[in-house]
Amino acid sequence: MSASVDEQTPRRRMLLGLGWVSFLVSLLGPVLANVRFLFPNVVYEGESVLKLDSLEKYLVGSITFFADKKIVLFREKDGFRACTAVCPHLRCVISPFVGAPGASPDILRARCPCHGSTFDGRGQVLGGPAPRGLDFFRVTKSPDGRVVVDTRKVVAPSEHFKL
Amino acid sequence: MVTESPKETGRRKAVSWIRDNRVVRSIFRRGYPDNDLDRAAVMFSNFFLHVLPARTHVHSLKPTYTWGLGIISLFLFVILLGTGSLLMFFYVPSTERAYSDMKDLQFVVSYGVVLRNLHRWAAHAMVAVVFLHMCRVFYTASYKAPREFNWVIGVLLWGATLMMSFTGYLLPWDQLAYWAITVGSSIASYPPLVGEYIRTLMLGGDTVGQNALIRFYVMHVIVLPGIMMILMGVHFWRIRKDGGLSRPPAPPAEAARGEAAAFSPHKTYMLVELAEGKTPMVDAQAPEEEVMSWPHTVFRMLVVFVGVVAVLSAVAYFFDAPLEELANPDHPPNPAKAPWYFLGLQEIVSYSALAGGVIVPAAAIIGLMTIPYVDRNPEGQGAWFTSAQGRRITLWSVVAVIPVVLVLTWLNEHYAVRILVPGASQIWVDLLNPGTILIALFAAGSLYTWRRTGSSRMGALALYSYFLTSYLIYTLIGLYFRGANWAWIWPWQATGLH
Repeated sequence: MSASVDEQTPRRRMLLGLGWVSFLVSLLGPVLANVRFLFPNVVYEGESVLKLDSLEKYLVGSITFFADKKIVLFREKDGFRACTAVCPHLRCVISPFVGAPGASPDILRARCPCHGSTFDGRGQVLGGPAPRGLDFFRVTKSPDGRVVVDTRKVVAPSEHFKL
Repeated sequence: MVTESPKETGRRKAVSWIRDNRVVRSIFRRGYPDNDLDRAAVMFSNFFLHVLPARTHVHSLKPTYTWGLGIISLFLFVILLGTGSLLMFFYVPSTERAYSDMKDLQFVVSYGVVLRNLHRWAAHAMVAVVFLHMCRVFYTASYKAPREFNWVIGVLLWGATLMMSFTGYLLPWDQLAYWAITVGSSIASYPPLVGEYIRTLMLGGDTVGQNALIRFYVMHVIVLPGIMMILMGVHFWRIRKDGGLSRPPAPPAEAARGEAAAFSPHKTYMLVELAEGKTPMVDAQAPEEEVMSWPHTVFRMLVVFVGVVAVLSAVAYFFDAPLEELANPDHPPNPAKAPWYFLGLQEIVSYSALAGGVIVPAAAIIGLMTIPYVDRNPEGQGAWFTSAQGRRITLWSVVAVIPVVLVLTWLNEHYAVRILVPGASQIWVDLLNPGTILIALFAAGSLYTWRRTGSSRMGALALYSYFLTSYLIYTLIGLYFRGANWAWIWPWQATGLH
């Protein structure tokens, strides 16, 4: 269709444009549906509420590293704290915390083997590329007296589960 | 006329019986092309040869111009399709079976180990050759008009080649695979806003597990090869439409299209050649500058193919593809290294994930794609490094980058943001690291070269040489100078993985 014909028939031109617009809009639905299809609604990736051993198994001053559950449990004289063992940089599992038993959290150190990020016992980044500190999780007690860590609830690093 | 001996008559009859019988004729239609008419016709009548022109410009056949890198990439791709299809018969993409299927291929299946080796080494070779091909095209200024968009398709093909390698990396389900994909998919979560969605889309969940394995498998065996075949088809088709491979422009008097002088009186032209006016036949000034593609091009391709297969077979026979122990989600190997072609990026990721995972790759891809649209003058097309000045600028750009990268690496070891200010905010780590500083320096150096010489081509030469050299240095650092916890080591201190 040449331009001159178009100019003579503005109504036809408008209808043609309307047709194109509705065609493109109608494409949007199927495209979005296909993208949405690729995002799973249910994933089976293990538990987010982790049940550990009974309270008295963890001695005051001990730091327990759970590689399979990817958490670290601190038993301090004020109570329990738990943080993730997954490095916030690129999700490698960090090495266990090192430091004398009962040492202050400021002295404890953990490193990530992948790119060398360093963290202290409060989860703070001391060096390396990690963009933020380690997340700390809410610790509670189960009715049968076991330690429960809820990885869905992030809390302040100083928050203790007091006995 | 000399009479044939009965023996010769017999041989001639035997050859003719094989070559000229009804079945062979029904397949190949014209018999063996032993004259120029048939040599031209074979390019039209054979499906697999029709992508080639009937005649090829002699410049396109110079080994020192192309180094055969494009065609080697194609052959490696074909070898990968063949070996990959065979491997698929013995591989099940399940977290419970994948690793033991690899072990079976190594120890139980006849020739399984050779096929896996061929597939692995061909993949490594393709990553290297495609990159070298891009360097050849860049340094001969072959991305210039009318080939700008074909360069863009080439950059996409490079990206697709890397994605093919990355998706194939997870399939053995060993330690290296598991942690390389954990790290790689986490890098994908760094772009602002969309990052986490990209990562979920890649993994089909939140951790590298069964969902991730099947997604990577489908990408590796169907989606990416399909995309690559389409892109390659367009890539080759555009080479033909743009008049064959790039070469130095013809002298002005001859090149004036539409004038009688542009056409050789010794040739016959077809309408299709005159319509576009830039096929190899019209561009060639004289018949002696072009040769029949059969046999000159076709048989060179055959020789290159045999050479590629021979070298790969030798490597696959003597060197086994590595396979580590079964993937263990509890413990990353220390150091956890990406495949060698991503080690340069991993080095920058170790400074800042945003810099190495998003800023640097985005700058590289966008920079590469826009080069033909920024450097628009036709200067230097078809000549290595454009000119003596271009050669000098390339050399000095390469030489200048080496100390800059080394000094930045040293500074980062001793005076990185978090060493000077422990617990410094992430914004400063993302902004002030060797990766981002280099991008700024490269842009400045390239613009300065452009200003000084008044030539965008010189600026582009400098920029590409900076990019190439720093990429190589960071790859070498990642390969030989990084040990446990990604700490700096000397190559002789390396103790292997763990």
